[in-house]
Amino acid sequence: MLAINPFFLAVGIIIGSGILPLLFLWRRFVVMKAVASFGITAGCLIGLIDAIMKLSHGVDWASSATYLHVFRLDFRMDGLSAFFLTAIFLVSLLAAVYSYHYMDNAQKTVRVAVHYLFFSLLVASMALVVTAANMITFMLCWEIMSLSSFFLVVYNYENDGNRKAGYLYFIFSQVGAMVILAAFGVIYSHAASFGFDGAAALPETAKMLVFVLAFIGFGSKAGVFPFHVWLPHAHPAAPSHISAIMSGVMIKCGIYGILRIYALLGWHAPLSGYIVLVAGMVSGILGVVYALGQHDIKRLLAYHSVENIGIILIGIGLGMVGVAAGNPVMALLGFGGGLLHVLNHAIFKSLLFMGAGMVLHKTGTRTIDVLGGLIKKMRITGTTFLIGSLAICGLPPFNGFVSEFMIYIGGFRGAALGQADFALSLLAIVSLAVIGGLALACFTKVVGVVFQGEPRSRAAEAVNEKGISMITPMVVLAGACLVIGVFPGVFAGMALKAAESLQLGYGRVPLAPFMQFTGNITRGALLFFTVFGLILVLRTFLYRGKTVTASGTWGCGFTQPTVRMQYTGSSYAGSILEFFGPLAPLEEKHPPIEGRFPAKTYYHSHVHDIAERHMQRVIVSPVLAAFDKLRWLQHGDIHLYIGYILLAIVVLLFFV
Amino acid sequence: MTSVLLFILAILLAPFYSAVILKVKAFFGGKKGPPLLINYYTLVKLLRKGSVYSTSTTAIFKIGPMVSLCAAVTVLMFLPIAGQPPIISFQGDVILLLYLLGLGRFFTIAAAMDTASPFEGMGAAREAYFPIICEATLFMILILFYVITGELSLAAYFSSGQPAGFWQAAGAPLLFVVLALFIVLLTENSRVPVDDPATHLELTMIHEVMVLDHSGPDFAFIELGSFLKLFFYATMVTRLICPVTLGHPAADLGIFLVTMGVVYVAVGVTESVMARYRMDKVPQFVLTSFALAFFATVISLEFLK
Repeated sequence: MLAINPFFLAVGIIIGSGILPLLFLWRRFVVMKAVASFGITAGCLIGLIDAIMKLSHGVDWASSATYLHVFRLDFRMDGLSAFFLTAIFLVSLLAAVYSYHYMDNAQKTVRVAVHYLFFSLLVASMALVVTAANMITFMLCWEIMSLSSFFLVVYNYENDGNRKAGYLYFIFSQVGAMVILAAFGVIYSHAASFGFDGAAALPETAKMLVFVLAFIGFGSKAGVFPFHVWLPHAHPAAPSHISAIMSGVMIKCGIYGILRIYALLGWHAPLSGYIVLVAGMVSGILGVVYALGQHDIKRLLAYHSVENIGIILIGIGLGMVGVAAGNPVMALLGFGGGLLHVLNHAIFKSLLFMGAGMVLHKTGTRTIDVLGGLIKKMRITGTTFLIGSLAICGLPPFNGFVSEFMIYIGGFRGAALGQADFALSLLAIVSLAVIGGLALACFTKVVGVVFQGEPRSRAAEAVNEKGISMITPMVVLAGACLVIGVFPGVFAGMALKAAESLQLGYGRVPLAPFMQFTGNITRGALLFFTVFGLILVLRTFLYRGKTVTASGTWGCGFTQPTVRMQYTGSSYAGSILEFFGPLAPLEEKHPPIEGRFPAKTYYHSHVHDIAERHMQRVIVSPVLAAFDKLRWLQHGDIHLYIGYILLAIVVLLFFV
Repeated sequence: MTSVLLFILAILLAPFYSAVILKVKAFFGGKKGPPLLINYYTLVKLLRKGSVYSTSTTAIFKIGPMVSLCAAVTVLMFLPIAGQPPIISFQGDVILLLYLLGLGRFFTIAAAMDTASPFEGMGAAREAYFPIICEATLFMILILFYVITGELSLAAYFSSGQPAGFWQAAGAPLLFVVLALFIVLLTENSRVPVDDPATHLELTMIHEVMVLDHSGPDFAFIELGSFLKLFFYATMVTRLICPVTLGHPAADLGIFLVTMGVVYVAVGVTESVMARYRMDKVPQFVLTSFALAFFATVISLEFLK
């Protein structure tokens, strides 16, 4: 029975293609890469088709097996699972294709083989996490996901910074898992079963506790402020296609967890919505502000994940407020918009990480301010990166706009409610507007400084664009951004179907009247393209037979400009960062120019993440001090260690 | 049909109104000033020229002016002019319009960054900064309008007798909205006291420095686009300060055109009697608009119920 299920077939193929290289093929580098990336691609393709079919036909299935004769492994797929599976398999598929040319260091054959093993485990475990149907299964898959991604983060373990990033990520994911386990423990203590179904019968206060614990635990995986500290360290450390998967879909498993717990608890108090909404607004605004201050392109993109998780949470939070207020349309718009943004963000963020990966691969640097002018030699990378940037800024006619549009309308519905709902919806709308503006500033900086202008260093001059397997996924993703942006009907429908399986407590809401908005977005986009086409024709006509000459850029009277005089990313973002000074303290090092023959000077700036700063001060230092006092427990005498075990068992006997 | 005619009229009249500002400024300076048709002459002159492109630029430099003009034209199609319904309108179109203007801004900035000029980068950084606050203000105003009307489209706000309804529902706090919208108009269209379109020093410019390298028809597109954008914002202010409709289209149009003139004269007077703020004071000025809109919204929605 299990064998013919397409979902398990897909998972099996993925894991198999990960193990194969390590067993036989690692001596033949190219064959190994081809087998692994083709196998994972094929597995993802099967899974993707299966997930889309299940989502569109609305088939739920469940299956279970016994594990270690004690626990049951239960899997269940409903609309919500199928929606997340679609995103997971889509991004993993393209990342697997991308990896073929990206992992081209033939000296590190074994390491690449190990990388494929953990890559396949990561994809498979993500797929299993979103289908797990009891606590044991869920935690098991969750841990495999965290551990496999940890090993991928430390892929370049020779680098000190990467090891640190790995440990930081490890600690965060384990503490997060611990908090999730605590949430499950509360459910178990009331329901006395490992199944999820008992959660709905919990008393009100226990539900609140479970929700808050789960929100912290899942939030630390998703990168919600202030639990996002690991994210900007871990994402740049991993190879770029892994960053694409981690940022595009792995952190979304946190969002899935929040939604699943919400659905299971059936706790529809307004407080849940307020918590999520506030967390979303804070993550959204601070994420993009910190992103603006980054000099490392992958770190910048990682902070944008914090921002987009914020937008998703604003959507979900509005949905929860809508449920609590008994406003079905607002609820569906909020949840639908949030879920659609999950898919959209998966698409444009993996596109952007792949673009950044191409830049890193060809120039060897991630520092924004030493690049420049890349679009001239990397046309496809530059163009697709531009499309991804437009999409992430939420600009029409690309996909980011559609989900933000839904969330906006949900927010406006909320503003018509009274009191606290009004105030929070108002803040949500304004935050979204500010986030949009800041994201535009941030991505004009990236596109402008990295891809436009003149190269600022040797590394940026000698670039080319090779590797068909790296280019194809970017083109596919850019196409997806445009298609969803212009024809959002099907995709918004998918998101709404996924939202339906949240058990929101009222029957089917007639979708037809408000599904009009997708048609309107299409109309708006087509109108824009028509006008643009007319202007293009007009321009071609106006330039017919005209003299068009080339010359240097006008230097405002200065005749000896150099490439080093170009505006840098740091100066571009400077004044905005000043505005947010209290939230994003800017540290600058700049020895002044003094005397008649001034010495060489430099400028160095760093934006401090206040969460990181305060976590160090409030949590890390006291914990270290406390554990320092317990050092005597760890003395190295094995006899006493056995004594500890004995003592522990005796103590447990009293309680169990 | 009326809507299409009004749309064409708007495109034709926008350059004229912008010249009104120049005339007012000349009056205050004790000069005769350029003729009222100056902007048409400039556009025709530019359209007949060829172009010089910097060797640093790419296709984005050529696409930029087209996108910004296209965004402005598309936005005008959704705008009810003189109280008549617009060419096209749907629920939520306001959000689309604000983001379309954002798209235009993205490409204007991208085209400036394409030239590798430090001056244009400087202007671009400012262009990316100030409108962030404007967007927050505009969305705050939208919340007020949405709660009063229950609609999310410009047609519901500015056509037929609606702006009069706002005055009835919100009363005096709507004055704050008018003022906030006027500040947004000054900021988004690079007018004094945010930006000085007539200054001679590139270092102190915002919009003008970003388009330094554009020439010929490309530059004409940019100019036309900015006339249309100013027309868009001025129409909203006009309809708010003069919501009266007489029921006769021609009379309404007359009143509208005259009030538009008043708004443009107000812009000209502001430019003449004020100096440009220092760059680091500008955000405070723009934030004033947000505060005004915020108070107007909260007062009229929570306290005047």
